[in-house]
Amino acid sequence: MKEHNVLVIGGGPAGIETAYQLKNLGFRPTIIERNDYLGGHLAQWDRLFPASKPADEVLEKMIDQIHDIDVKLNTKISNIVKENNIFHVTLTNNKILDFDAIVVCTGFDLFKTEKKQEYGYGIYNNVITNADLEKYFKTGKDERIKDPKRIGFVHCVGSRDVKVNNTYCSKVCCATALKQACEIKEEFPEADVYCFYMDLRMFGKGYEDLYLKAQKDFDIKCVRGRVCEVSENIEGKLVIKAEDTLLGTPMKMTLDLLVLMSGMEKAEGVEKIQNMLNLKSNSDGFIESRDTFVGMSLTNEKGVFVAGACTSPKTLPDTIAEARAAAVEVFNYINN
Amino acid sequence: MRPVFDPFVLPFVLGMTFVLLYCFIGMIRIIWQLPKEDRRKFGRSLITPKTAWKNIKDLFGDCLFHVKIWKRKPLLGYMHSSIAFGWFMIIVVGHIEAFALSPFKGIELPFLQKMMSNLYMTIFFRYFSLEELTLKAQILSFLMDFFLLMIISGIIIAVVKKKKPRQVGLKRVTKFGIKEDLVRIALWTIFPLRFLAESSMAGFAGGSFLTKYIGFELLFGGNYNESLSLIFWWLYSIDLAIFMFVLPFTRYMHIPAEALLILLRNAGLKTTEPRKGYALAEIYSCPSCGLCIDVCPMSENKDNYKKTAVYFMRNVRKKKRREVKKMTEICLMCGKCVEVCPLGIESINIKMAQRSKIYYKLKSDFSYLEGRQTTGDGQKARAKVVYFAGCMSHLTPKITRSMVKIFEEAKENYEFMDINGSICCGRPMMLTGKANEAKALIEKNTELIMNSGAKRLVLSCPICYKVFKEEYDLGGVEILHHTQYINELIEDERISIDRSDKRYVYHDPCELGRAFGVYDEPRNIIDNIGLLTQGKSDRDMAVCCGGSIGSLTMTLEERDEITSNSIRDLMHNNPEEIVTACPLCQKTFARKSPIKVKDIAEIVVENLE
Repeated sequence: MKEHNVLVIGGGPAGIETAYQLKNLGFRPTIIERNDYLGGHLAQWDRLFPASKPADEVLEKMIDQIHDIDVKLNTKISNIVKENNIFHVTLTNNKILDFDAIVVCTGFDLFKTEKKQEYGYGIYNNVITNADLEKYFKTGKDERIKDPKRIGFVHCVGSRDVKVNNTYCSKVCCATALKQACEIKEEFPEADVYCFYMDLRMFGKGYEDLYLKAQKDFDIKCVRGRVCEVSENIEGKLVIKAEDTLLGTPMKMTLDLLVLMSGMEKAEGVEKIQNMLNLKSNSDGFIESRDTFVGMSLTNEKGVFVAGACTSPKTLPDTIAEARAAAVEVFNYINN
Repeated sequence: MRPVFDPFVLPFVLGMTFVLLYCFIGMIRIIWQLPKEDRRKFGRSLITPKTAWKNIKDLFGDCLFHVKIWKRKPLLGYMHSSIAFGWFMIIVVGHIEAFALSPFKGIELPFLQKMMSNLYMTIFFRYFSLEELTLKAQILSFLMDFFLLMIISGIIIAVVKKKKPRQVGLKRVTKFGIKEDLVRIALWTIFPLRFLAESSMAGFAGGSFLTKYIGFELLFGGNYNESLSLIFWWLYSIDLAIFMFVLPFTRYMHIPAEALLILLRNAGLKTTEPRKGYALAEIYSCPSCGLCIDVCPMSENKDNYKKTAVYFMRNVRKKKRREVKKMTEICLMCGKCVEVCPLGIESINIKMAQRSKIYYKLKSDFSYLEGRQTTGDGQKARAKVVYFAGCMSHLTPKITRSMVKIFEEAKENYEFMDINGSICCGRPMMLTGKANEAKALIEKNTELIMNSGAKRLVLSCPICYKVFKEEYDLGGVEILHHTQYINELIEDERISIDRSDKRYVYHDPCELGRAFGVYDEPRNIIDNIGLLTQGKSDRDMAVCCGGSIGSLTMTLEERDEITSNSIRDLMHNNPEEIVTACPLCQKTFARKSPIKVKDIAEIVVENLE
């Protein structure tokens, strides 16, 4: 039997899992990754919700599974030509490879919190993002975190926000915020920790437990309301304005550290790949799936498949499940 | 000897009588509707020599020549001037001709017929005129032919404008209904018919190069046919009558209405009621020329271009409440339509007046104002300058930080009035037509500013700037936007700046540029910092950023479209950074712009020596 080549664009969790399953199905996958490491955002994360499982553990296991798969790091795609159902792909190192199918696993970018200037990221010293905090957990180093006494988490930064053009929910921030709130409370047990949320969407297995644990065991105070404005007082502390919508009152609070729960956005540079493959975008700016029920891994282009957060914000378990589904779709496509 | 009367003059006489009566009654009605104070003001203005002179100047400059159209679209300027001025001159020269050659001289007529003959004799002069051609008559005939030719040339452009708007520099022209089409055809045919009627007799009854040589000799082959000639005179008269009977109900009402509008405007009147008095004069003055369509930020959207000022005015005139409400609420209030309007119709003021009549369920709670204490006693100045950032600037802390830095760098004795949160300036309330609610805020802010004892107020937000300039009474306190203030600091060498070769483009915020003409100060500042490139349309033609709080109903998608268009204009000369002077413009652009968007205060701080 002829061996079929499948290109997997992106070496994050979706790409890794897709490639692994493709190999199991008897294909020869190739992963193209623009960075010099595999794992995408997962590689930057310290622990995963809901149970704070170390991210490294998960990632190492996944990478282990693909040790015999062709992975091209530091590589991008400069051109794709489709001819008789074969994709001729030109890489940035000018090599041309041929593939029978392509799975796009380009993932997401974190929302650039600088865009919401009113939260002061990049302006005030003590404003950080969820990614910054994970990095701190991982390395123990961040000059902005100096024994904070009062910490605030702002949910939905760049998600469900018409003012920045992102009307969708990023799905993972609620659980991440509560996970991080518990973790930082562990680190600084004396600190008061507040979460400012719109709704808490604790939909997955163990999420609601996390929410209860955060309140009962960690004394995290959840305030329903959006932070509207952050400023700095003379002592260099943050002053936030928010509204407690349950009490119906505006509130003002001084904080030592503010963590912005940056949401998911379509990844930069994906448009180029979309143009090469004629892939449509959905109303949120992500790649459009052919069908949201039975064609989640399919696109408007034959032979091109999608998996993971390149089509919409997704949790890690969702992403892995989709990667497997995409591999099956590739199998169906090639064998028909 | 020609006859002194012919029945063909009757349609014209009736039409003319009707239109004169209608306009007279309409004028009385508009003046009657003015508030008492305004009526007095208007009366006084008519006898004040200075305004009277301005009235005469404007009546000629605007009604006849439309200087404003000439400046923007010379071809359209010629079109309008040739028709308006040409027609006016035909009336004037016609009267001189009638007076000088007086064909009815020495003929005794009954009173009523004498009155009537005054109306028709000049219009149909050629029909009734004497046969002999003196030098005086020849000169006058030449002038009459000259102006007739001028009008016909204007009508040719009008036809082109209607059929192929792009040929005269327009993308879109106003679309009309049957009534308007009828009156337009009537207008277009008046002068060709006059030409035919006059030409048919020009062999022996006056006429010059146009009617005599081209008309009579060439067109009619030098033959006079009495019945054919009479048909043309009938058609000419009927055509005039149609035009005049329909005129009051069509856009051509702008011809008489504009004269009244000019007088009212020169008297210093403004719109107070949405459909009465001054507003009504503006409504009737709108000629539906459609120059406001292409410039409106909304008209890039093919569903929205019918919400532009010209359509708004027409719907107000037709009292279409639902459409008026929709158009009133969606408008961004950027003021571009007012800027290009040849008649200076301030449709955004009519929209504001409309909004004050719309009931919005808003709960205003001003109890927090009580808690804001003033610390000064108003006597001893704590600071020379009081800085009011406003709520939008508080959402863009880079601006307030930069301003603080600039004040410190200039060693200014200043007070940051709203450092702990602002009391709203009142503009959002004004924009929803809630002038009374805005008053509470305005009074409190006035109190705070007056008590500071400062002599100057610096603002960072053009939205605040507009309301402070228009609605606040701050005694002698000078109101400055930070572009003006910083420009002054640079000119007085109180701060010094390093020049780089970075390429900037400046976006004029609507409420700073078009509203108050602050165009040069920000450009001077940027000239001191780097290279100022030009956007595709700037200054008074700058495109709204799309974020304006002026619109109450525009959807995010519609706003986005405008933002993208505005950015595309700004990117025209490949700048490295977009600079603006409004926190709202900055925020709006920042989410869509491919390059950095900064406030002018930020780039000043970045480049301080």
